[in-house]
Formats: sequence, structure tokens, C-alpha cells
Amino acid sequence: MKPRDRVLMALNHEVPDRCPMQVSFTPEFAARLEKDMNLGGEDKIHNPHGGGNTYELERSLGQDLLLTSVGWANSYYQEAKEYVDEWGIGWRSAEYETPFGVGRYTEMNIHPLAEDNAIEHYQAPDPNRPELYREAEWMLKTFKDEYWIVGVTVTTMFETAWALRGYERMLIDFALKPDLAERLLEIPYQYHLTAAKKLTQMGVDMIWIGDDIGAQHAMIISPKMWRKFFKPRMANFISELKSINPQVKVAYHSDGVVNPIIPDLIEIGLDVLNPIQPASMDPAKLKQEFGDKLCFWGSIDEQHTLPFGSADDVKTEVQTRLNTLGKKGGLIIGPTHHVQLDTPMENFWAMVNTIQQTPYSTL
Amino acid sequence: MEPIIKEIHTNVMEGNVTSVKANVQAAIDAGIPVSDILNDGMIAAMAEVGHLFEEGECFVPEMLIAARAMQTGLALLKPHLKNAEVVSAGKVVVGTVKGDLHDIGKNLVAMMLEGAGFEIIDLGTDVPAEKFVEAVRNQGAQIVAMSALLTTTMPSIKNTIDALNAAGLRGQVKVMIGGAPVTQNYANQVGADGFAPDASRAVATAKELMAT
Ligand code: B12
Repeated sequence: MKPRDRVLMALNHEVPDRCPMQVSFTPEFAARLEKDMNLGGEDKIHNPHGGGNTYELERSLGQDLLLTSVGWANSYYQEAKEYVDEWGIGWRSAEYETPFGVGRYTEMNIHPLAEDNAIEHYQAPDPNRPELYREAEWMLKTFKDEYWIVGVTVTTMFETAWALRGYERMLIDFALKPDLAERLLEIPYQYHLTAAKKLTQMGVDMIWIGDDIGAQHAMIISPKMWRKFFKPRMANFISELKSINPQVKVAYHSDGVVNPIIPDLIEIGLDVLNPIQPASMDPAKLKQEFGDKLCFWGSIDEQHTLPFGSADDVKTEVQTRLNTLGKKGGLIIGPTHHVQLDTPMENFWAMVNTIQQTPYSTL
Repeated sequence: MEPIIKEIHTNVMEGNVTSVKANVQAAIDAGIPVSDILNDGMIAAMAEVGHLFEEGECFVPEMLIAARAMQTGLALLKPHLKNAEVVSAGKVVVGTVKGDLHDIGKNLVAMMLEGAGFEIIDLGTDVPAEKFVEAVRNQGAQIVAMSALLTTTMPSIKNTIDALNAAGLRGQVKVMIGGAPVTQNYANQVGADGFAPDASRAVATAKELMAT
């Protein structure tokens, strides 16, 4: 079965030959994997949000979705030392050490809209530059026959807005300066909406939007606050895309706990929810409650099982997920974030092999 | 309870910086004991906010603005605290461990501890083990509170505990830890003295550690 048909069936709540798979990695894990698979490693890294994916790696692994990204999320990992991205946001690196070597993360340390009045003179980058869409154009031409193509515009509103403003400051704005908060959100919202519409017109199969509003055991902001600041914008975002192409699917990413707003997400036309952190939300319950109206993407734990479990634990978790969250389709399976450098190779392969060697017919 | 204390309590909970400032100044001017303003006004309000957070009735923005209001009041009270019979609940050095840049959880823990009468030394994020060791050695911290949000940076917790041991300081401090992937099990495994799943319960843990 072609990867794109596999995904399409799953997202239509039909049962494909096996569950479709999408996996991303940090650059350090990607380098380890390339070595393990004897790949040339010459393909350019494309994946946003700090990922180290290359199309060569994804296709060699037998992934079913290929991603192409336009937006602020591409600012992660631009350079090794300090840098300022085109939004005026400053970055630095921090190193960490795992049993499998040393890695680094890039993180923002300069927020150009930290002062309240800085927004008056702020000029966001132009989302209409043709060069931003060259990769998507090439991707669609080269791979759309075979793969499910995803246009990525994550960090859609909240994450870019708080990178501009500062995380804590932005959270306080929601409570104390709601008008400023609205204006801050509007900047990345307009940018990413323009990009998502363009990608939809170009023919991607799915748009992936995202903003982390969940922490480990609760939402970061209240459902009420989310309904005030985010729901109307997200509703419009989704409906604009669907009016360009009614067939296009929309996926949304938020880490952590988001159960309280899932009915709202369904109401505004969301198709797929990512990444379903199993330590935060019970996947089986989600399927029971929302499985007929919503599809899921992710769900393999990387806070315990992937880094610290055994290969058998990983295998069991994949099988459990296929039997619950993935029952009768409706799931794209994969880890809940980039696979991190602390993950043993045996565990990684246990995940990939169990997914690929478990046909739906045997479940 | 004095009406003005009640007002301080309400305004801290609602994150009303300007009113808290005015209320606290008025209370000081009226000669109300500083310990009453602190304990019944501000500390009690933060405890209630923390409780609502624990129960999922209040979220990070509401906690942040309450903490800011509490800090404004505390700044006004500080000059008077030395003369009054107010003892610090303990000195805590807090930080997010090396390699890790997640800071809101750590900040909330620091704010709640401060709001419960602890003195805080905040080392920020990406804090190497030596920095924690220095703060214990030179500033007399009684508790080391470490935050880690990533499985890849959790080993830095253990490294810091090892460094405290190597410096011969482990016996004189308590270590408490937390953050999304951290569990009581992990705390036991690395020999930390305490764990808490959220900022409100971090206060209870810190108090227990000071009592033992
Ligand atoms: C916001 C966020 C970010 C922000 C952080 C901004 C900032 N200034 O803090 C940004 C975007 C920068 C970020 C970056 C990354 N992140 Co992040 N992030 C999150 C997210 C969504 C929420 C964290 C948060 O703010 N929570 C809100 C606060 C209030 O909660 P909290 O931190 O848990 O703290 C509470 C308790 O834990 C406790 N507590 C916390 N500390 C302490 C300390 C003590 C002593 C005690 C007693 C208690 C305690 O009390 C707090 C208050 O109640 C989580 C999702 C999640 N499930 O947690 C992912 C998450 C933590 N991130 C993750 C990842 C992978 C990353 C990156 C590595 C991504 C990448 N590049 O690959 C980078 C790493 C950057 C770095 N070096 O640290 C993963 C970690 C997975 C893993 N294997 O461990 C998570 C779990 C998401 C996921 N889908 O898996 N992230």
C-alpha cells in the first residue's frame, strides 16, 4: 500500500494494512541513526522546531508522511553560537550530556517586544517571499504521488508571540493586558495563515498548526482564557483553509493536557490532534470519548518508555496503542516529540519495527 | 481579622499590584503588626492561590499575577521584617539544571516558597552543579531545589547531588526536585530528600524538610 493511501484511510477512520508512522528526531539522534543505517547523511535537514529530519532518513525508515515547513519554527538550530533570527528574536545554545553523547538545544534569550510600546514599530517578516515555498514546490512535485504531504506552520500564534514578548510576560498579558495580548497574537497569526493558505493552494494534503498550551498535569492557561484568545482565531484559520480545499486535513499540536478543550477543537473542524502525551492524557479514554470525531497522531511516550524502558516495554506500548487509540484506524503513530539523544537504539528500533511488522489484520 | 488585612488577602489573590501596595502601606502606617500583614494577608493568600492551582481551579497566569502582587507587598514590608518577630522559614537555592531552559515551573516554585516565607536564591536556568554547590557553601542555603523538564537533563540532578557529596556539603542541605518527567521514584533513586508534583505542594515538601 502506498504511504499516502495508508494515511488517507487512517484519517478517514478506515483500516489500512498497518498503522501509518511519523517520527522526528533531534539533530544528534538523527546523526546517530544515519550511522546506524549507513546512510550518506548528505541530504539537507528540513524539519522545523529543532528537528534533525532529512527526507533521505524519513524515506529510508519507511515513514508515511513527509513534512515541509514555513514559519517562525524554522528559527530553531540556525547556528551553533548566538544568533538573531529574522523576527528579531535572539537565540543561544545550551549543552547537555547523555549516555550516548553530548547534544545541544537552541533557545530564545532576546525578546524584541519585551517593552510594551515596541509593538508600535514592529515589522514582521514577509510571508509572501517566493523562496519560502521552493522546498514545498519541489516536495510536492517529487513525492506527492507516493507520500502524504504535510505543510507545517506550527508555533502558529502563542509560541511565536511569546518568543517575541517573553514567555512569562505573555502569560501575564493574558490576565492584565488583554488588548496587547490580542495584538501580539495577531502578528504570527497573520503570517502563518498566509503561509498555510499558500501551502494549501499549492496542494499539500494536510496543514499542521501548533501552540503548546498544556503542561504535564493541567492546561497552562484556563479553558476560558483559551476560548477568548485562541478559539476564534483557530476557527477562522481552519475554515479559511477548508474553503480553499475542502479535502485538506488540519492537525493541531499541543503538548501536555488539553482534554478540556477537545470538544471545542472538534467543533471548529479540527481533524487530527497531536502529540497525545500518555503521561498527561489517557489515550484509551480519548479514543472512547472522541474517537469517532477526531483522529490522533503521536502517543508513544518519551518521558519514560523510550529513554528509560526496555525494548520489550516499547513493543508493548506500541501494541497497546494500536489496540486502543489506533483501533479501527484514526491514528498516525509516533513518539510525542523529537526522539531525544538519551534513547537507546534498541528502543528506537523496537518502536519502528513493531509499528511496521504489526498489520491491522493481526490485531 | 482587620478589614485591611482582608483586603490585602483579596488583592493578592486577584493580582492587584496597585491596591496591594496601597493596602500594605496603609496597614503599616496604621501600626498593624508586620507579622499579621505577612502571615494573615499575604502568605495566607498565596497558600489559597496555590491550593486553587493544585485543584485545577486556577492556572499559570493567575498564579503569576498573584505572586507579583505578593512581591510588591513584600518589598514594602522588608525593611520592617528585621525589627518584627518574623523568622524566615528557611533559605532555598532554586534553579533549573544544566542543559535545561524551561523556567516557568521553577519560577512558580520559587514564588510560592517566597510567598510562604522562605528566602530564595534563584540561580536561573542551565545551572551547572558547581553553582548549586557554591550557593550552599557561600550563602548558607538549607535546601537545594532543582527543576528538570527533560529526560536528557534529569541526569544533571544526580550530578549535582554527587557534587554536593564530593564537596562534603550533602549532610548540611536537603535536596528537593521536580519538573514534568520527575517522579517520587526517581527522587528515591538519585537520593533526593523530597519531591513535589506542583508548586503548591513544593511548599509543603520544603516545610517538611526544614522540620526534619
Ligand atoms: C513550554 C515548553 C517549552 C518552552 C519552555 C519555555 C520556558 N521559558 O520555560 C520551549 C519552547 C522553550 C521548550 C523547549 C524544549 N522542549 Co519543552 N515543553 C514545554 C511544555 C509544553 C510546558 C512546560 C511548562 O512551561 N509547564 C508549565 C509549568 C508551570 O509546569 P512545570 O514546568 O511542569 O512545573 C510544575 C511542576 O512540574 C513542579 N515543578 C517544576 N520544577 C520543580 C522543582 C521542584 C524542586 C519542585 C518540588 C517542583 C517543581 O511545579 C511546577 C508548578 O506547579 C512541556 C510539556 C509538558 N508536558 O510539560 C514541553 C516538554 C517539557 N518539552 C520537551 C522538549 C523535547 C523540548 C525541547 C528539547 C525540544 C527540542 N528542541 O527537541 C526543547 C529543550 C529546550 C531546553 N534546553 O530546555 C518535551 C520533553 C520530552 C522529554 N523527553 O523529556 C516536553 C515534555 C514536551 C513533549 N511533547 O514531550 N519547551
